[in-house]
Amino acid sequence: MSFEKKQKNVFIILPVYNEEKIIQETLKEIQATGYKNIITIDDGSSDDSHQKIKEFDKNIIALRHKLNRGKGAATKTGIEAAKLLGAEIIVTMDSDGQHNPQEIEALITPIRKNQCQVALGSRLKNRNQMPLFKKACNWAGNFVTWYITGLWVADSQSGFRAYSIKVADQIDTKGDRYEYESEVIREIKLKKLSFQEIPIEVRYTDYSMGKIEKQNLTNGFKTVYKLIWNIIS
Amino acid sequence: MNFPANIQLYQIVIVIFSSIMIYQGFRKYITQESGQTLYKLTTRIIVWGGMALVATFPKITNLVAGFIGIEGNINAVILIGFLLIFLMIFKLLSAIERLEQNISELTRKDSLKKINNITKK
Repeated sequence: MSFEKKQKNVFIILPVYNEEKIIQETLKEIQATGYKNIITIDDGSSDDSHQKIKEFDKNIIALRHKLNRGKGAATKTGIEAAKLLGAEIIVTMDSDGQHNPQEIEALITPIRKNQCQVALGSRLKNRNQMPLFKKACNWAGNFVTWYITGLWVADSQSGFRAYSIKVADQIDTKGDRYEYESEVIREIKLKKLSFQEIPIEVRYTDYSMGKIEKQNLTNGFKTVYKLIWNIIS
Repeated sequence: MNFPANIQLYQIVIVIFSSIMIYQGFRKYITQESGQTLYKLTTRIIVWGGMALVATFPKITNLVAGFIGIEGNINAVILIGFLLIFLMIFKLLSAIERLEQNISELTRKDSLKKINNITKK
């Protein structure tokens, strides 16, 4: 099967929040890999992210949340949109350029070959470049996710993932914010979905490092609180 | 049950305030203001009525303490107060969570209108 045919039913989902500086570059990189079905969900940005996407390419499906509802909510909107458009494989990735679009193929290949239903990108390739604080947060996130869901994964907070359409229908999450990523792990465990962890690299640019600082400890605690709340409520 | 011999100022204040709150509850329920239910009215009567009762007859707390098996009437009142506050916070948080999810769902439906238009074409 030609690459064009193979990529036809692959949809790339990008939740976007205040990324006007980098979003066009990210989209350009994705398109350079040959994947044309891109859905962006501007999650109520206060900057011109949405406008920048529309200016960049009219063929990109640019959706917009009128209110900021969180990364999880935006990702879910993207997945719903992809389902309506007849996607067979859905890839989610961050819009700040941290993820390398060249690795989309590695992520979706096991799904195409029916080796698994979910592919989790794990930031393992250049782990030594990961800042110590980020490493500690990542480990804490993995530990809490394991404690709550019973499934240990190498990178529970990675947003670079791929799903077969059948699985996208089954995954039922409530979390609207960063807890979404851990809830997906819970669904994998609960519904006994087959998954593979694919090593990916993360590009630590000045821009993305600035964002890492924004994802502070308070957000981490909020995520843990939300995960626990979902259990007891 | 006898009325206390010396009535303190705090008792008068609590009884007046509780009476106003219960009166407001009845008025809202009778005039059928939006969101007023029998459940809400009953809760209001129990909470404010209970406060007025304890303020008027402080010795009643001894009965409560004996009933739940806690030494000291003040401890029993504080414990029940804590439990009630905990329950209220829990209910509030659940309601907020439900509202948050509803807002997200509405936001999602609104943003997906564009997709529905594309698929209809």
